[in-house]
Amino acid sequence: MIYLKNILRTVLLSAMAFTVSACGEDEPLTEGTEPKLRRLTEQQYRNSISDVFGGNIIVAGRFDPLERIDGLLALGASSATITPAALERYEAMARSIALQVVDEENRKVLVSCAPAASNTRDDACANTFISSVGKFLFRRPLTGSEQTLYTNLSGAGAEGLGDFYQGLGYGLTGLMVSPKFLYINETAAPAPDGLHQLDGYSKASRLSFLLWNTTPDAVLLDAAAAGELDTKDGLEKQFNRMMTSSRVEHGVASFFEDMLEFERFDILEKDPVIYPAFILNVTEDAKEQTLRTLTQVLIEDKSDYRDIFTTRKTFISGDLGPIYRVPIENPEGWVPYEFPEASPWAGIQTHLSFQALFSHPGKSSPTLRGQAVRESLLCQKIPEPPGDVDFADFNDDANQINKTARQRLDVHNKEASCAGCHKLMDPIGLAMETFDGAGQLRTTENGVKIDTSGELDGITYENAVGLGQALRQNASAPACFTNRLYAYGTGHSPTRSERQWMGYLEGKFAAAGYRVPELLMEMVLSDAFYRVVPPSLDTNTADAGIISAKETKL
Amino acid sequence: MKKNMNLRAVSAIGALALGTISATATTAEVDTERTIGLVVVSFYTSVYETKYMEECPRGLAIGNDEIWWKSLEPGIRDELTNGGDIEPVTGTRRAMSAKRGPNGEDVCAIPTIVQDPPHKTVQGSISYGMDLDGLSEGAATPKTCSHKNFTSPDGQAGIDNQMYRLLGCTFGWRDSGYVETNANGELIDTSQGVILIEVSDVDDKHNDGDVTVRMYRANDVFPKGAQGNVLPYASYRVHDIPGYGNAAKGRIVDGVLSTDPIEAFLPYYGNLTHSEIHLRDMRMELDLEASEDRAKGIIAGYRDVENFWSYFRKGGYMAVTGQFSCPSMYVAAHELADGYPDPETGECTALSSSYTIETIPAFIIRPEQDDLKTSEVIAMPDTMQLATRGE
Repeated sequence: MIYLKNILRTVLLSAMAFTVSACGEDEPLTEGTEPKLRRLTEQQYRNSISDVFGGNIIVAGRFDPLERIDGLLALGASSATITPAALERYEAMARSIALQVVDEENRKVLVSCAPAASNTRDDACANTFISSVGKFLFRRPLTGSEQTLYTNLSGAGAEGLGDFYQGLGYGLTGLMVSPKFLYINETAAPAPDGLHQLDGYSKASRLSFLLWNTTPDAVLLDAAAAGELDTKDGLEKQFNRMMTSSRVEHGVASFFEDMLEFERFDILEKDPVIYPAFILNVTEDAKEQTLRTLTQVLIEDKSDYRDIFTTRKTFISGDLGPIYRVPIENPEGWVPYEFPEASPWAGIQTHLSFQALFSHPGKSSPTLRGQAVRESLLCQKIPEPPGDVDFADFNDDANQINKTARQRLDVHNKEASCAGCHKLMDPIGLAMETFDGAGQLRTTENGVKIDTSGELDGITYENAVGLGQALRQNASAPACFTNRLYAYGTGHSPTRSERQWMGYLEGKFAAAGYRVPELLMEMVLSDAFYRVVPPSLDTNTADAGIISAKETKL
Repeated sequence: MKKNMNLRAVSAIGALALGTISATATTAEVDTERTIGLVVVSFYTSVYETKYMEECPRGLAIGNDEIWWKSLEPGIRDELTNGGDIEPVTGTRRAMSAKRGPNGEDVCAIPTIVQDPPHKTVQGSISYGMDLDGLSEGAATPKTCSHKNFTSPDGQAGIDNQMYRLLGCTFGWRDSGYVETNANGELIDTSQGVILIEVSDVDDKHNDGDVTVRMYRANDVFPKGAQGNVLPYASYRVHDIPGYGNAAKGRIVDGVLSTDPIEAFLPYYGNLTHSEIHLRDMRMELDLEASEDRAKGIIAGYRDVENFWSYFRKGGYMAVTGQFSCPSMYVAAHELADGYPDPETGECTALSSSYTIETIPAFIIRPEQDDLKTSEVIAMPDTMQLATRGE
């Protein structure tokens, strides 16, 4: 039966492709995937709470990690579950947030109505509050039954506790432990072309989480309600509006945090004896330096994406100054900085963040760095090492004959089972060996001058700056970025039916001079970005079951 | 999209202090090729010690505490020590020990109000320091009073260092003594009174016959590493308090920097006391290549006695921790003063002094910088709180 459905769908797609082509539009038709149920990431959760209730609301709690799938945590979010223990943590966080929202100070701002009496229920006021915050938490207006449910929950709480605001906190807690808040729950709707697309509110969420990494704002939800997101003009209007907001820097930074595996900073440690300058502030600033650089180059300057591998423009903080050994005009803040022409720093691959993240706690790692370039920046998967690999030669730092990493890797790679993959990684990583395990510049290792020459896919270079030039010329780099961005935005890796579309998108990116805002616009104005097939499982029914169980407990 | 904050809040250093400074550098323009920036991370009075204290044949100075204790009636001693069962180490006792003037005056604030036994001074002949007056013997000159010269540990005659003679037999200033050890700890902990040394016009960092040296007060804190060490190559803005930054001509010979004498004011903080070191005929000798990332040397000059005493006047508790008598030391300081005689009395008003310093590399950021690329501080965008209140 499914087979027949697929055949019919293929026939229909072919017919539609012909029709679209005949209309003069050149966007390849895609089949779409099922609507996604994506668990909010920690940052999305925090951003949402901050945007709905204000930045002074403290979100205290631990979030379960996401699995990295096809290079992105965002894809892991599409298949992430919530364990009973995690749900308890969500509930504790929700209660804490709710209590802050309704406390005596915050309620003056956040609760727009006043109850007739503060020691009992006031359903009219509770209804108003639940309605106003509910639509931002669920990213759509609440249904009538949902409205009744949370209003009643607030009322029951108020009666039980003898306090209207405490009761309101109960209702709010219920909203925040609902899977409709904790998951971005996409819904399919019929499209004008006879296929299916996301409904307006789901489109709003895709837009908002892609561009801002937070819940849709009131304007976007209103546009969804008015059906404006079902038209190119409406989408374009919203896209242009959103791109002028400072939030877009958060959105772009969040994407790159994911793409560059920056969540690893949370557990990054360096040996303080070997790298005394690598303190906690440095860890935090290293990450921020790269994210600031990326948003400046790609969004503020609207530069070519490939410039991220060669740019000497960056930002430096007081804590980073001693690491880079450069003067900082204001050691208390961030300052724009441009590395001199002859300096060894150009491109994000030379940043402290990259060097330190892909190193060992007490030494550099050409292999980890090379692997990161291949996998994160070029989307090329390196196979896992064999289980019986012998690292003794490489780890022999005291070896008086093989004093440099290059020499030790040469010995290590005499093993045929190792050499194949190391050929892909080591020439890249060895170019960065003038940066130690904490990203600090060095010229020698164990007294021997470091050789940083190498080759990447046919392009030779002398050092990490040259490697950046090679990356800039590598066609896989913008293709990888396009792929990752699309996957990040939709919650799924491009499917077979989207290959032609991805090629098209990459072509558009190239034609636009690899300008990221143009790529984003091309993507969010496309049909492909919102194309879905009706879900095979009635997720709404399943969700309702979860809600009922949780809300009964409350 | 980003909010910019102009760095112009850092005002220009007073023209008087800067002297002839006109050229300033932006961050990007800090000429690391022709400028050597240093920050002082260790600052000790130069004290030459021998293993068996041969320089102090009369022993160490008597403490303020000891004098006070001996002056007490047995009954009061019992009261303060609970009949001898506890050590009299309360804060009250410390304050009391300094307030032993006839009417409870603080003898460090008014050191002439009582007469204590003579201060014990250095009797040895070897000292660190410099020949400030150019004479191998310590005969009086129009600019100096008669004094005894020292010989340096490496044999140089004519070393003028009456400050060492004054403090060298006082426990607080000797190796592991509390006063200077504590002050240096506070320097690192608080980043107050941090001295910057800027060597500019450098063509050759190993040998250069004509460089310019200025010393400033830092306006930024020490960045520290994982083990509490001050990190080299940090940036420090120059404090806009006027009075620092006089330029001295200097030279580098085989990696050793030396300067011609100038009048200088150096910031100082120690023992919870803000002070300032006023040195006349100040000069410096600094081995820039003493070790990797560390230069070592001395700063010497004539330190005004009253300027020196202001440190004790503000920080009276040092008399307890440093183990000396304020009245005794004050008298000795005036007796030992060997520089800058008072035109009317003929008494010298300054002590030849030497301070041993260690520095690490730093970037010195002077104000008046005018490069758009680097003069703006980028603040992160404000928190987004838009949904419920409209954007």
